[in-house]
Amino acid sequence: MQLIKPGTLFKSPFFLRGVFVLSLLMLLYISSVSYKHNQALTESSELLVHSYKIQLQLEHILSLLKEAEIAQRGYITTSDSVLLRPYKIAPGQIYDSFLRLKSLTIDNHEQQYNLDTLLQFINYRFKLMALTLQSSEAIPFNETEFGINLLQGEHLMEDIQAQINKIDRRELLYLKSHQQTYEKEALFSPVSTFLFMIFSLLIVILSFLKINKDLHVLKKSNEQLLIINESIKHAEVIGEFYISQWNQATNELVFSDNLYRLLGVEPQSFPPTIGNYLKFVHPDDKHIVAKSEESIFKDEKNDPGFYRIIRKDGEVRYIMSVGKFIHDENNRIHIGIGKDITEQHLSNVALEERNHELEQSIKELESFNRVASHDLQEPLRKIQTFISRISEKDKGLISESGKAYLSKIETSANRMRILIDDLLLFSRTNKAEKVFAKTDLNLLLENAIQELAQNIEEKNADIHSDPLPEINVIPFQIHQLFVNLIGNALKYCKPGIPPEIKIECTKLTSDQYPAFIKDKGKKYYKITVSDKGMGFEQQYAENIFLLFTRLHQKLDYPGSGIGLSICKKIAENHNGFINAEGNPGMGATFSVFLPA
Amino acid sequence: MRPIHVLLADDDEDDRLFFTEAFEEIKIDTIIRTVNDGVELMNHLNQENIQIPNILFLDLNMPRKTGIDCLLEIKQLPHLQDMAIVIYSTSSSEKDIEDTFVQGANVYIKKPSDFNSLKKILEDVITINWQYQTSGLNRDNFMLSL
Repeated sequence: MQLIKPGTLFKSPFFLRGVFVLSLLMLLYISSVSYKHNQALTESSELLVHSYKIQLQLEHILSLLKEAEIAQRGYITTSDSVLLRPYKIAPGQIYDSFLRLKSLTIDNHEQQYNLDTLLQFINYRFKLMALTLQSSEAIPFNETEFGINLLQGEHLMEDIQAQINKIDRRELLYLKSHQQTYEKEALFSPVSTFLFMIFSLLIVILSFLKINKDLHVLKKSNEQLLIINESIKHAEVIGEFYISQWNQATNELVFSDNLYRLLGVEPQSFPPTIGNYLKFVHPDDKHIVAKSEESIFKDEKNDPGFYRIIRKDGEVRYIMSVGKFIHDENNRIHIGIGKDITEQHLSNVALEERNHELEQSIKELESFNRVASHDLQEPLRKIQTFISRISEKDKGLISESGKAYLSKIETSANRMRILIDDLLLFSRTNKAEKVFAKTDLNLLLENAIQELAQNIEEKNADIHSDPLPEINVIPFQIHQLFVNLIGNALKYCKPGIPPEIKIECTKLTSDQYPAFIKDKGKKYYKITVSDKGMGFEQQYAENIFLLFTRLHQKLDYPGSGIGLSICKKIAENHNGFINAEGNPGMGATFSVFLPA
Repeated sequence: MRPIHVLLADDDEDDRLFFTEAFEEIKIDTIIRTVNDGVELMNHLNQENIQIPNILFLDLNMPRKTGIDCLLEIKQLPHLQDMAIVIYSTSSSEKDIEDTFVQGANVYIKKPSDFNSLKKILEDVITINWQYQTSGLNRDNFMLSL
């Protein structure tokens, strides 16, 4: 399950806000451009209408003029005054049109000027027409004057036509130039608008994709949350813990379902408040919970708290709780976790009790040791000393049987001495401080042989030893090990045959390890002490290392049955091993495995 | 040769008996005196005008005042600095040996369980070259064994 990084989602709103602002700006731009474009279109059409209106009026003026002229000519030729009507009404109508033209071009000085010129021409033309009419009616009819007037009228008409054309052209020019600017704009705006539209569309699509992706991520993280939520709920039940959430800002408290279960009630069966929870806390421990709450308010932290609750069914349970504040952008939430540690607590208590008992028995053992080492030895020592006094001083006064009894008492006392000494040695091997030092085993062996020198000499024993390594050992214990093993070999020799004792040493490779060495990674030295003495049945090989185990009658071979137990203990103290191989009548071999 | 003054502090009557009997059989001119415990020992040593013993045999395990307590006190008393102190104990525990050595005892002997051995070890102690023994304090020859 891949968890979504919280940052990805948090960044999205900024991106979306940016996209929104950008889109808004573009829309504003596009609408303003469209508005402007529309405005220009309206303006153009108005201008066109305007031009046409002017043109219309101009043509109207021209046609009125021409009608007047025709009327005048008709009258002159026919002298029918009815025909003169158009001539008579023409000036008023022309003037009306002229006024319209004037108002149409009111903001154009050039055209006004042109119009004024036109008016002058027109006025002159009417004057001429009047003159022509006069001259046609004149008696006598002056043909020359009439002809001149006609010709002048003809010329003037051409001028008027030219002036009208000029005004027309000018207007057309205006229209054309306006058309050009408009066309320029009209061409530019659709392209830019289109581009902007495409761009906006692109952004909208991108935003859509981003939102879609975010939604997907959100959905996925929601799913994960759901799984985590369920896992926690499950874990709460399995792990016997609960979670409480307290929002510092809203002072809202939430208890998980398992809190209710741990209290022995139905989930969410009471409102989650401190007060309601405290009702379940053991009366003697309420102050602990209250203090913990206080410290959350005051110091904004709380240390692990241990307290008891009383479940609905009356059962007392032990709770350990810890708390922690977590922060997000706006909130500080205190997460409290409580765990039912009843089983753990009870087993701890039991363990403590057992520890106490153990300590007690260790103390007793120690005092037993003291008794053994001092108090038991003292009377024994006195018995032995008194025996030695009697057997020396009063030997002559005692009967033969008395002497025999005395000797038996002496043997028993000596045996007790050995037992006590060996027991002490054994317990010291157990207890003594294990101070390791790199030591030459040859020296330790030499010292051991020296300690046994008298015994060796008595038995006329032959001791042969390989060179031994220098390893990390507890020196006095290894010394004791050699004394015990060699002493053992001397003790269990064949009567009358000088003992032959061999001490050999080899460094083992892991394929040579016996089965009981499990850790193949370690290096071991194998030191063997072998003799050609009495030997023993292989079936006893394990037993001989047990405390007080003896394979022989104690009269035959005096001993405490502790010596080999001490050897085993020493090997164990060195994280090593010891084993024995025996063959009755052929001898015994003791192998000690010590870590190199 | 002047007799050697020997003082034994031991609460055990039998041990005092063995001790004096052993010295009776040792052919060395000694004057033996015994006290029954630590308190008696310190009272004796603090008397004025007494013969300061040449050698003090000190048992460790005594009621009222132990041998270690006595040893500590003696080492504080200037007039007893020339007296040799021999620890004479049933125990041969490392702790006792170490403690008494550190506190300035000269020799440590373990009470033997044989009268002849007792005679032998006491004779050895008496005939030690005390100048050598006291001048070069040595942990190795502190514990005297047969």
